[in-house]
Amino acid sequence: MARFVLERLLGMVLTLFLVSIMVYFIMELPPGDYADRFAFRKYSGTGVTVTEAMIEEIRRDLGLDRPAYLRYFDWISGIVLRGDFGMAYSFLTPVTNVLGDKVWLTLGLLFATLLITYAVSIPIGIYAAVRRGSAADYGLTVFSYLGLALPNFLLALIMLYCANRWFGASVGGLFSPQFENAPWSLAKVWDLVKHLWLPAFVLAWSAVAYQLQTVRATMSDELNKLSVVAARARGVPETRLLVKYPARLAINPVVSTIGFDVNRIFSELPIVAAVLGLTELGDLLLKAYLDLDMNVAGAILLMLTTIIVVMNFVSDLLLGWLDPRIRMGA
Amino acid sequence: MAVLDDLRAPAETRAERRERERRERYYAASQWTLIWWRFRRHRAAMAGLAVLGLMAFLGLFAEFFAPYGQTTRNAQYLNGAPQWPMFCDANGCSARPFIHGTRTERDPVTLRSRAVPDPDMRLYVRFFVEGEPARLLGFLPISTRFFGVDGGGRIHLWGTDDLGRDVFSRTLFATRTSLSIGVMGVVISFVLALIIGGVAGYFGGIVDSVIQRVTEVIRVIPVIPLYMGLAAAMPRDWTTTQVYFAMTLILGLVGWPTLARRIRSQLLSIRNEDYVVAARLAGARPSRIIATHMLPSFTSFIIVDLVISFPYMILSETALSFVGLGLRPPAVSWGVMLQQAQSVRVIEQTPWLFIPAAFVVLAVLAFTLVGDGLRDAADPYSEAR
Amino acid sequence: MDRLLSVENLSISFRTDEGPITPVQGVSFGVDRGRTLGIVGESGSGKSVSTKALMRLLPGSASLSPETRMRYRAKNGETVAIETLKPRDRALRRLRGGEIGMIFQEPMASFSPVYSIGNQMIETIRLHRGLGGRAARDLAVEMLAKVGISSPETRVDQYPHEMSGGMRQRAMIALALSAGPALLIADEPTTALDVTIQAQVLDLMRDLQRDLGMAMIFITHDLGVIAQIADEVAVMYLGTIVERGPTREVIRRPLHPYTRGLLEAIPAIDRLDARLKPVPGDIPSPSQRPSGCPFRTRCPEAVPGLCDRAAPRETAVGEGRAVRCHLHDAARAAA
Repeated sequence: MARFVLERLLGMVLTLFLVSIMVYFIMELPPGDYADRFAFRKYSGTGVTVTEAMIEEIRRDLGLDRPAYLRYFDWISGIVLRGDFGMAYSFLTPVTNVLGDKVWLTLGLLFATLLITYAVSIPIGIYAAVRRGSAADYGLTVFSYLGLALPNFLLALIMLYCANRWFGASVGGLFSPQFENAPWSLAKVWDLVKHLWLPAFVLAWSAVAYQLQTVRATMSDELNKLSVVAARARGVPETRLLVKYPARLAINPVVSTIGFDVNRIFSELPIVAAVLGLTELGDLLLKAYLDLDMNVAGAILLMLTTIIVVMNFVSDLLLGWLDPRIRMGA
Repeated sequence: MAVLDDLRAPAETRAERRERERRERYYAASQWTLIWWRFRRHRAAMAGLAVLGLMAFLGLFAEFFAPYGQTTRNAQYLNGAPQWPMFCDANGCSARPFIHGTRTERDPVTLRSRAVPDPDMRLYVRFFVEGEPARLLGFLPISTRFFGVDGGGRIHLWGTDDLGRDVFSRTLFATRTSLSIGVMGVVISFVLALIIGGVAGYFGGIVDSVIQRVTEVIRVIPVIPLYMGLAAAMPRDWTTTQVYFAMTLILGLVGWPTLARRIRSQLLSIRNEDYVVAARLAGARPSRIIATHMLPSFTSFIIVDLVISFPYMILSETALSFVGLGLRPPAVSWGVMLQQAQSVRVIEQTPWLFIPAAFVVLAVLAFTLVGDGLRDAADPYSEAR
Repeated sequence: MDRLLSVENLSISFRTDEGPITPVQGVSFGVDRGRTLGIVGESGSGKSVSTKALMRLLPGSASLSPETRMRYRAKNGETVAIETLKPRDRALRRLRGGEIGMIFQEPMASFSPVYSIGNQMIETIRLHRGLGGRAARDLAVEMLAKVGISSPETRVDQYPHEMSGGMRQRAMIALALSAGPALLIADEPTTALDVTIQAQVLDLMRDLQRDLGMAMIFITHDLGVIAQIADEVAVMYLGTIVERGPTREVIRRPLHPYTRGLLEAIPAIDRLDARLKPVPGDIPSPSQRPSGCPFRTRCPEAVPGLCDRAAPRETAVGEGRAVRCHLHDAARAAA
């Protein structure tokens, strides 16, 4: 077991290293660099004409004239050693200030979404497989096709419309106006929970549709396994049998794709955030891209991907815990 | 002789003969014919195929089917409601469908001028009318449109947007753009997957491990943020065409890993089959062995994967354009059109701007159904049932 | 004789896309307490389906004909009419496992891979013996020791994938026996094993049967195995029993052409130079059942005009023996 964990851990570190290179590549991709944008930002509206020499000076001051691999090294060592993601030029403040507690909001949203996803898809998928061919099963199949076809921003708009219609105005965003900038308190947390369900529901939508199909398919396979027949032949009561034998194995593919679900959720996050007016990382990422504030964008991209990699690791561990064959490396 | 045969053989009923002939045809059919036969039995998949065919057809000949150009404005009818052709109104019925004309009126509350239908003015719908000159398929000059109304009026089947552009016409042009971006994206990712997956799967060993690692990294970064990062790097002064091709390239660049994995694992599994080893011993070049000996054994799986990856391309393009990181006006795609429909206010006041969304849903659904149908049809073991 | 189980007129139909098929038609057999019945036949002959019907393990698309009678004499002296049990009946749950145990061809697939052997045994012991905790575990260890598994105290906590094929089949037997059934149904239990291990498992089953005084239905396609273990044998072909009787008699003097064919197809070590004689042709699918005698399409002695017209009826020949063949009808009529 220790060896199993160690192997996964090493794999995770290596992946993260490669991811950081990839992210840095994307940060460097847009035409122009930090110095250009910083200079234009700093002097715009001041009447000063920005010259090439001034930009060159900023560049030299910040060490941006050095080769790319050195700059990458500066960037990544700043993050790993000091938690320093560089400066956000459009805010003229360190990236960490801009991010603030948005990381926690994003994680909260993520876990709320995952909770909804699994609480809905696992029991319903199992039910559909047991009642295979029934009207309910048929209806769920239609739903999951539609669920995969409906773009999330459209769903977000529809939900927003319905919520406005039936629950009154304040549903968008993550907080009510009076809590937006208030310090954290129990009342603020409760306010967050009241706002969280809508984006979590929208984000969970396609993940539910996808996992529903997975659970239903695996459960159908498992139901036909000899081990289920054998257990029935030993007189195990039917409900207990379903839970202990096929259902237990049917959640394995769900556990093994937690990372994919997180990936899918983060993938949809910026767009859903734009529609629902969420003030967390997804929304900030979109703004940073539009402003070409690549230090902020890179920091967020790296954070989101790190969360995915960590969740992959967690899913590996969970799978090892659930399945002795994997744990023992068989 | 024939008579004797008939006497000797037990009489074959017509049903039996039909059954026997069906079996003989079945045994003689090629792999692709079999797949087509099985596919045809999937009613949902056939419906999906029909929808896609229709969309492609309308998109391809948008210059003919759309009554107006994609940027043509009707300044008299801004944010106008859809005009459905009717046969009857308060003034009686007519065999030829018509719409009501509009007149401009001042809103008593906001005092803004707005277009309201004039029930006393009838504009009759005509087919094959003269319209704006355009080039069909990019080269064929035509000025005939599939339909229009007479009397110099305008017909806006699905209403107009805030600039008075015809939503129906724009949707047809958008269909062309969005579908073609999907096709190009899939083709590019397929070529990349073929090269990268092919190298990994054929050579195996360390080459494979390195490629696997890189693939893993691209797969672990969330897709849309990755697309957005690449799209954000497009210079703002690029032309519509440049952006269009850059978009296809970006979609292709991010889309290949899944397909590459499939190709790699398939290649690895047949790498040591006797016929591949024989070809290698005979001195064939790797590219030739892959192309002529190995790929054909799983072409049907690749096609299924290609079809299934379409929805992702279309949804990604729509999402990117929707938030302003994809195609930009004056280009028109489903996502670009939906950019105008970002708020709840639009649902309340001009819901017809959401019509392109129905196309997105329909196209994704159709591709998914066709993909599922193909997957079932391509699986030889599904025949058992 | 003390009849433990008797099955009469068992017919099973399945609904399929191509219409109903009937893989088992009018099968009757029985087992006495403490005796072994062997059922032999090729795959597709309906032998597994028949025993699944005994445990009511058939899927929802299957149905039994109204003439079917399955009577089982339970440990408490009551007679259970198996065909009338409802799926959620307590009596059915007691029957499964507690009265009749079952082991299958593939021991690996019969265990759930994510629970230890002990977990699955203790579950069964709890259900049928009312033992809990320590006592249940002790009994599980004892059963593992009884089937010849070394160091059962550690093996009981192992997972199926940690055991070899032969050991898994032993564990499977221990699992089925841990509930203390009076009848064990063994569905090709040795087919998936190496020959040497096959013999060990057969020996073990024979010993256990003697020790526990248990009846057994042993299903196989191998008449050689039947000869070693069964007191009586029923030969099945395409859903009907074509010949039955005491094992020694049937093997020494096979009456049905199919039984003879099966016997000739067994390789013998003392006849290495002789060619094997397989039964020609394949067993037809139940949806294309030949008219008349089902075996006539492969029978070397088929009589045109007779065998393709009418299905032969079962004819009693001597003590406890019966055969279903027109040749023997004719022979008897002539006698």
